[in-house]
Amino acid sequence: MIASASQKSPIVARGLVRHFGDVKAVDGVDLEVHAGEIFGFLGPNGAGKSTTVRMLTTLLKPTAGTATVAGFDVVKQADSVRRSIGVALQDAAIDPLMTGNELLELQSVLYGIPAGSVRQRADELLERVGLTAAADRRVGTYSGGMRRRLDLALSLIHQPTVLFLDEPTTGLDPMSRITLWEEVRRLNSEGTTVLLTTQYLEEADQLADRVAIIDHGVIVQQGTPTELKAAVGAPTLLITVSASQAEQATSTLSRFGELRPTAEGSLGVGLVGGARQVTDVVRALDEAGVSVHHLELNEPSLDDVFAEATGHRLEGAGASSSNDDDVSPAAEDGSEPTRGRRGRRRSR
Amino acid sequence: MTTIVNSAGPSRPVSGGSFDHTSAPGGTVLRSSAGLAIRGLRSIRRLPSAFIPALMMPIVQAIAFSGTFFAITKIPGFPTDRSINWYLPLACCMGAGFSGIGIGFSTIRDLETGFFDRLRMAPTPTASLILGPLFGAWIRMMIVVTSVLAVGFAIGARLTGGVLGIVNLYIAGFGVATVASGWALGLAYRLKDMRAAALMQLTFFNAIFLTNAQAPLFVMSGWLHTIARVNPFTNILRLARTGFLGTVTWDDTWGGLVAIAGMGAAAMYFAWRGLRELGN
Repeated sequence: MIASASQKSPIVARGLVRHFGDVKAVDGVDLEVHAGEIFGFLGPNGAGKSTTVRMLTTLLKPTAGTATVAGFDVVKQADSVRRSIGVALQDAAIDPLMTGNELLELQSVLYGIPAGSVRQRADELLERVGLTAAADRRVGTYSGGMRRRLDLALSLIHQPTVLFLDEPTTGLDPMSRITLWEEVRRLNSEGTTVLLTTQYLEEADQLADRVAIIDHGVIVQQGTPTELKAAVGAPTLLITVSASQAEQATSTLSRFGELRPTAEGSLGVGLVGGARQVTDVVRALDEAGVSVHHLELNEPSLDDVFAEATGHRLEGAGASSSNDDDVSPAAEDGSEPTRGRRGRRRSR
Repeated sequence: MTTIVNSAGPSRPVSGGSFDHTSAPGGTVLRSSAGLAIRGLRSIRRLPSAFIPALMMPIVQAIAFSGTFFAITKIPGFPTDRSINWYLPLACCMGAGFSGIGIGFSTIRDLETGFFDRLRMAPTPTASLILGPLFGAWIRMMIVVTSVLAVGFAIGARLTGGVLGIVNLYIAGFGVATVASGWALGLAYRLKDMRAAALMQLTFFNAIFLTNAQAPLFVMSGWLHTIARVNPFTNILRLARTGFLGTVTWDDTWGGLVAIAGMGAAAMYFAWRGLRELGN
């Protein structure tokens, strides 16, 4: 039995563990998602986000621990959990041979929607996600964004009050991502509780009321994005110097604050004095004979929170996992790029 | 907007029931199974390349075997003077088996693409995830068996057992399709990838050919005779052939019915256990 304090929390997990052989995919996750919030589950690939979601959505049995969703135990009352939740899993697994309409009809049948209401409900959802015109086309002809929107529509067929979205925007272009964000906000404003997993810092920052950061199957930080960033404190000054001067630069930077994990090839320091201290740092580096190639001052981000908690930067953050470049989708959107995701090393 | 509420729900929330939520009523076994069967049939139309081999193979087998082994009718005591009468029911049973294995292939595809997770997350009875594909396999079987029969009659098959013989043939078809479906689904759920496909085909071919498929038991000897004698598929083939080898008798019928009931139940249990274990 979950404690009474959790009675109004639609998602509660206590010591959730999942092992695959010797691999501890999830290693004691404690979560409590409050009614009506968007909860971001942030972490790199392989951190345990999807495994946690699969346990919470009854697809996978936990090795240990307990969880309730919509008040029901995910193991003992799996069927009741399924009646209460909507789920859009990673990769929008949709039969490409079926049309949008056919998929919605099948989903309606599986969820027991009365036959007389199926057409109306399907039409409403197609309109809601902007797929009315494509409703009779095979899903195989849909773009990635259309598939995601259809996936979302499918997950809403029974009007669930708890919605799980597993990396809903991975691989989407910036416009599709923004459209999906808007829809998630709209659903939330209508009272739907959303648990959203993501590897995109910006997505968690933009959408989530609260964020849990997971790494190696363990939640390392939890709170509102503002709280988490505030806890990091000082902004990070990032500099790039030649390899031969890295040691001298590190020594100089360490006089101004705590060194921070950065991407390979750059150095970072938390500047307690903020922007006013930048001049002093530059002067000190100059006096030490260090030639600075690049310099930037970043306000604390969730990536800094992640780095503080784990000692390394969020792998693949803001970029498709297949991308080798160091530019995030945020940069593709035209906003400030997130740096320092690949080839991490801890500089302190 | 339609609001679907089932406030009673199937069970009480463990957290005391104070959490206010809507919940789907959940699909019924029959409605969900029918929905899934229809999905399977649509795929025949939209991806005919996945179905045509299962249709053509038994037709080709019927023609090729009866043509190649026409001299089998010269064996003293052979129960028919037309080789097609011997091989046509075998081809029909092969087609029925392919129909079952075909849904195994579809399930592997669903498992690999993740679509099956969507089905598993639906609040519909587990049985419908097996019965839906099974219904689909039965419909495929009907199409295949009817087509093979039509070709068989066109090339000289003669029905000697009347309508009851045809009924027995279709019962055998349903039986083989059920056994093959259960076996194929069970393997798909356990292996979750194309390894299961190879195993489905290999085991099915062995099971159906280590019988009196090619020749009557009385001309077989040694280990092959022993295996064919105890192989339940021998009884199913005997049932399928009742309409083509003289008149329909209970002696030739009951063994096949027992084999279908036993193997069908075992295969369905194998599939059901595999499905239940998917989340472990």
